[in-house]
Amino acid sequence: MDLINDLLKIIGDFIAGIINSIFGFSPFLADLVTMGLAAVMLCTFAALSFMGLTYVERKVVARIQDRVGPNQAGPFGLLQPIADGIKMFTKEDTTPATADRWVYNLAPLVIAVFALTTYAVLPFAPGVVGTNLNVGVFYIIAMGSGSIVAIIMAGWGSNNKYALLGAFRTVAQLVGYEVPMLLNVLPVVMITGSLSLVDIINQQTTLNGNPGIPFIVFFPFSALVFLISGIAETGRSPFDLLEAESEIVAGFHVEYSGMKFALFFLGEYVNALAVAFVFSTLFLGGYAGPVLPPYIWLMLKAAVVFFIFMWLRGTLPRVRVDQMHNLNWKFFVPVSIVHLVVVMALMKLFVTSPALAQANGGVLVTPGAQAAILFVASLLILIGSLAVVARRARILRLQEAAVLEQRRAENIAAVSA
Amino acid sequence: MQNLLNGIPLWWYLVVSAALFCIGLYAVLARKNAIALLMGVELMLNAANINLLAFWRYLTPASSGGLAFAAFVLVIAAAEAAVGLALIVSVYRITRSIDPEKLDQMKL
Amino acid sequence: MTNSEIMTIHQALFIVMALAVLGSAIFVVTTSNLFRAALMLILTFFGIAGLFVLLDIGLFAVAQVLIYIGAISILIIFAVMLTRGMQGMVPRNSQAVAAAVTAGIIFAVLLLLFGPFRVTVDVARWPVFSLFAGNASPRDVGGIAWTPPNQPIPAMPETYIADFGRSLVDGNQYLLPFLLIAFLVDVVLAGAIFIARQRRPAEIIEDRRRQAEEAAEEAEAMRQAGMTPDVAPLPEGAVASTAEH
Repeated sequence: MDLINDLLKIIGDFIAGIINSIFGFSPFLADLVTMGLAAVMLCTFAALSFMGLTYVERKVVARIQDRVGPNQAGPFGLLQPIADGIKMFTKEDTTPATADRWVYNLAPLVIAVFALTTYAVLPFAPGVVGTNLNVGVFYIIAMGSGSIVAIIMAGWGSNNKYALLGAFRTVAQLVGYEVPMLLNVLPVVMITGSLSLVDIINQQTTLNGNPGIPFIVFFPFSALVFLISGIAETGRSPFDLLEAESEIVAGFHVEYSGMKFALFFLGEYVNALAVAFVFSTLFLGGYAGPVLPPYIWLMLKAAVVFFIFMWLRGTLPRVRVDQMHNLNWKFFVPVSIVHLVVVMALMKLFVTSPALAQANGGVLVTPGAQAAILFVASLLILIGSLAVVARRARILRLQEAAVLEQRRAENIAAVSA
Repeated sequence: MQNLLNGIPLWWYLVVSAALFCIGLYAVLARKNAIALLMGVELMLNAANINLLAFWRYLTPASSGGLAFAAFVLVIAAAEAAVGLALIVSVYRITRSIDPEKLDQMKL
Repeated sequence: MTNSEIMTIHQALFIVMALAVLGSAIFVVTTSNLFRAALMLILTFFGIAGLFVLLDIGLFAVAQVLIYIGAISILIIFAVMLTRGMQGMVPRNSQAVAAAVTAGIIFAVLLLLFGPFRVTVDVARWPVFSLFAGNASPRDVGGIAWTPPNQPIPAMPETYIADFGRSLVDGNQYLLPFLLIAFLVDVVLAGAIFIARQRRPAEIIEDRRRQAEEAAEEAEAMRQAGMTPDVAPLPEGAVASTAEH
């Protein structure tokens, strides 16, 4: 059982052992080679999952939209990603004559690099983590903001007005949605008392000696807002305004072809998968789970989250620019701040550790009771804010309908006159 | 030679920060574009931050004074960039120019 | 792990970072292509984040990436895009040489202050200074030992992030500056929105009308005072026509 549970760790230790025996004369060199190899393995994992995800996404979206999806290359179209890869490699690599060449050529690299560096701090199983950074959560959000730079580089470097429009939209969207993302990571960080992803998972595994509760139970509001902001951050449908094909043809990557385009695609999918992993880690308990080995649990949770992404993509129409900004600045940010304050006060009021209760006062409760209290509070905020928004939307809809009705009446009068 | 951190003496950081500060100063004195001027200011603030954090780490890592001041510098740099760029864009809209030498009137 | 190897690797990393920082900074201040200058500024910020990593302050390395690269650089690039008409102008003004010399002199002074170099200054031998200070004795300048010699660098506490956080809300430490900074950010948020806001056409028309009225009143007052106005009085209907725009 241990062999299966710690499979990744055992393999890793085995490879590290081999490397250590080869480079025994210089431990530093051995460390360097081990780290390099680990980095290559992580990147390979991300790239391979990108290939798999494109296939799965096309199949799932096709099923949702009552189509078949790829079915020609190999059994069930399983070889489609490889066919796509060959097509991408052999396509002509064009560069616009007026492009800013350096910027244009660097942009795909930058986006891929920023997307892949996120994986350095993700814990895949106990002891299997690139580096247990003590500012892990902060690091992931910072690296996520790096892809904005790449998209702007692509948009400006292409010297194309659609690309520039895409870049403008990108700035507004990605910078904006970073705010609710950070605001909703904060409750998790506050209850854990640490920015390290490993500590966050440990907290969800055991809560003061009791079996842990995933943080989605503590903060359903934060989980929901984090998920939606994550979709917006990675520019996936229904927030794919930065590359909306039907409005600005393909946004920032309209001029790219061949492998450069593939790198953009890779960056997008790898980012989305990273958001799925981070969501599973922050709110679903990461690799923690009974019976199955930990890495399988993490993959399962990430797969479920990614399936939600695909589901949304298959069913929802693209939002308008103003709707996107209204959702962020008029709903997510203010309500997140209210939620943060309420949760903070409740966590000070109902404490689980006796030492803290003695030091700062407050009511001593069991972790389960604290979870229940926070769950109710978070859910009440969510339902209350949704009710307000629904009411407001209804009023706006009625106004719009009245205007349309009036215009229709005017038109009829004009025609009859 | 005991006073090294990761094999690096303190003065390396100080010299880099001094050089960065002077590069920023040159930009502030010599550039003709208000945005480039602002970039120079950012470089100077960053140089100050390197100094603050290097001194903090080498001399008094037990207290958090250096971190606090570096954080304040960070926030002020962000605020300055926001207001400065808003002003520049606004001025550009009115005068179609952001050459600081041409902006010599009290009234636009 | 022998010590000498570790040292060389960290030192090599430092040198690479420092060269990246300084090289890209020089590019930033010399190029005429503002967009590329902004991109190189990002490289500068990244190198500085690397320096913070070498200082073992991961928190500020990440904050550097998040705030400088994720926010300030983006803002600067945005401003460059919005002022596209200013692309390709001469990057330097007429005082560039003087500025370079000034920066160079300040750098030399800072080098003496920060670096380990000692220079003997003999003022009495300098051409002009000798007139005023002919009998000054030569003295050594520079080479200050900033770290106490032969003492290990104090270890950084493991919980430095939590300590830092507490010090910001501790009434005995940095609570007041923290509140002031928070207030500053509030004001800046409102101010930046107010300045950069696209003004509605009605407001612009209102402004023009007021300006025209003021000018007319001024001219009227001057005429009544018996002076010739230096601007021609506005023709009748000018106010109305601007209002119609």
